[in-house]
Amino acid sequence: MSLDVVLFTAIASAIAFSALAVVFSRNIVRSALWLLFTLIGVSLLYFLLGAEFVGATQLIVYVGGTMVLVVFGVMLTAQQQFLKIRIRPQEWLVAGILASALFVLLVTTSFHLGEGKNSPPAEPMPGSGPLGVGFLTQYLLPFEIISVHLLVVLIGAAYLARAKRRPGGNRD
Amino acid sequence: MFPTPSFVERVSTDLQRDLLAFLPELILCATIVALLLARLVTPLSRKHLGSFALLASGCALAFAICFWPERSAPIGSVPLSGNVEGFSSLLVFDTFGLYLRVFLLVFLCCSLWLSLLTGIPDAEDSADYYTLVIGGILGMMLMASANHLLMAFVAVEMASVPSYALAGFLKGRRQGSEAALKYVVYGASASGVMLYGISLLAGTFGTGSMPLISRAVAVASLGEGPTLPVLAGSICILIGLGFKLSAVPFHFWCPDVFSGAAAEVGAFLSVASKAAALALTARFLFVFSGSSRTGPDDLSGSALALGWAFMAAVTATFGNLAALAQTNIKRMLAYSTIAHAGIMMMALVAVGPRSVGPLLYYISGYLLMNLGAFAIVALVRNRTGSENLDAFRGLIRRAPLLAVGMSIFLLSLLGMPPLVGFAAKFQVFAVLYETGRDLGGHDGMIAWVYFGLLVVAALNTAISAGYYLKLVKVMTLEDPADPSPIRVSIGSGALVSILAGLVLAAGVFWNPLTQYANRASQSFDLAPKFEKPAKIPKDAVRPAIGPKGKIK
Repeated sequence: MSLDVVLFTAIASAIAFSALAVVFSRNIVRSALWLLFTLIGVSLLYFLLGAEFVGATQLIVYVGGTMVLVVFGVMLTAQQQFLKIRIRPQEWLVAGILASALFVLLVTTSFHLGEGKNSPPAEPMPGSGPLGVGFLTQYLLPFEIISVHLLVVLIGAAYLARAKRRPGGNRD
Repeated sequence: MFPTPSFVERVSTDLQRDLLAFLPELILCATIVALLLARLVTPLSRKHLGSFALLASGCALAFAICFWPERSAPIGSVPLSGNVEGFSSLLVFDTFGLYLRVFLLVFLCCSLWLSLLTGIPDAEDSADYYTLVIGGILGMMLMASANHLLMAFVAVEMASVPSYALAGFLKGRRQGSEAALKYVVYGASASGVMLYGISLLAGTFGTGSMPLISRAVAVASLGEGPTLPVLAGSICILIGLGFKLSAVPFHFWCPDVFSGAAAEVGAFLSVASKAAALALTARFLFVFSGSSRTGPDDLSGSALALGWAFMAAVTATFGNLAALAQTNIKRMLAYSTIAHAGIMMMALVAVGPRSVGPLLYYISGYLLMNLGAFAIVALVRNRTGSENLDAFRGLIRRAPLLAVGMSIFLLSLLGMPPLVGFAAKFQVFAVLYETGRDLGGHDGMIAWVYFGLLVVAALNTAISAGYYLKLVKVMTLEDPADPSPIRVSIGSGALVSILAGLVLAAGVFWNPLTQYANRASQSFDLAPKFEKPAKIPKDAVRPAIGPKGKIK
């Protein structure tokens, strides 16, 4: 067994364990914290694949930014009745069936991935240089249009979060 | 690693051409920013920004019309069949996409006009509302011309996320917040499933470009057929699109969201969002029907078509049956939307230029009649404060114009001649019949699928008469509980009359709109050709991001 396989097994099982812990913890703050470990594990997987840029982005954006916001959000909104999640048996049943169907589908398909291809590409993943050039040439449109999207979404979020100054204002 | 000067020059010439073709979208982007900046200027900070948004969208519409293929085309020229790829083939400019772009902008203008008339949003929230609506339309325009799975996903998200916020736009109402939350949760899971599908496809083919995938699928179909990842991936993507289309069994969000959100938002979701989702589905199914045209005995194309046909039939039937029991008009219209989505999905079972033309006609007619119906619901809500069936009781005595307009829209939704709804349904039925008849020669089983769909569609029209005519009866024959007349402003009267007039006119004179729609569908005619699949270039299945692939 090569080092790659050993590392992958260790990281993947850690990810799987923490992901299960996210689902099974009753306390919402604990769920949020377990999610942190899942995201760190995913970034380690990227590093293992040689995609340093994606791994670093995952660490900075998800672990550093999003997760802090999630934890803050959870702590600010977790009032007494929301702190513990109660799940009814029928919800377990429906969610369990759907999730296991998706799981079976993904597992069976991933064993067929790469069929008919001989070897993985020997070329190393592009570093930040080619990626940056790619963002400004070939993938310019999504790179730029997402900024418009984020702006719109930001405004939507701010609208939903802010209080109405004059309730029932002057409607025509 | 660093680009050479000649490379930079080529990129910038390409970019100039692409940006010119992208002008309507750029105008919308600029409008969004301008709406935000307007709030910083003191004299404008309390103004209602609706007229500005309307003006800007009108501008975008004018430019979009200018780029119509047969006019002088700054893009170079968009050929009638086939296409021009832009933005390093992430987007595609073809007649189909240009038609839908014009369509979406027309809808945007109408919907902004409606929002000015009904007073949702008020002056304080206007910047937010218009930003969300324009942002959503921008995403839908990208959906209609996506040529790459990455772009398709970004566009779907751009169209969806503003819709979630719009669903909860009426704040302080429990129903609205519930609708928004449900929409977000369902939408996020649907996006997740779609993303699984996209990554499976991109992983299998080593590229996200839809033409390349189409070619690879065609090649594979000559051999052992599509592999499991390809099938699973395409099913996952269709699930995500089915959610946007509110196809059964992914429709749960639709009635709740429509009854919780304002009627104006309902119109936005039911017309624009459906149109964009259908456009993307058409493009996507076309990629996969690349395989079915190589040989009649191909399984994957027909299996996919079979599943899609079944989903369409169930969607139409379920929508109509559920609508029969509704007393809230918006909820009824939500189920009616599901039913119409089912009929439109039927048109897509046979993907090709023949079925896309009727689909475009249907979408355009649906804009007129459904926007009209939602507009009247909004106007009646403003005057009576209710959206239930009772508010419409005896409407003919209280507001004759609204009652007559609503009756026209409902009869058109039902599919009565000589209204646009009839023309639309007739064309879809005709496509189903013709395809079934043509296939009858060499593939009897599939032919019966089309005839079966035809029967289901006809039955559905009969069922839908139940609730459309009930509402017409309630409006015209019953006595109002409160006989006081409802005042209709001149602008509202004008909007309703124009829409009703267009419903009637487009139903009597089909030809102009049908011609445009059929011409737009030509871009599905010749796009990929598979005469000699052996000559597929090796780089058709090459990793999208590779160090060598970056700078050609």
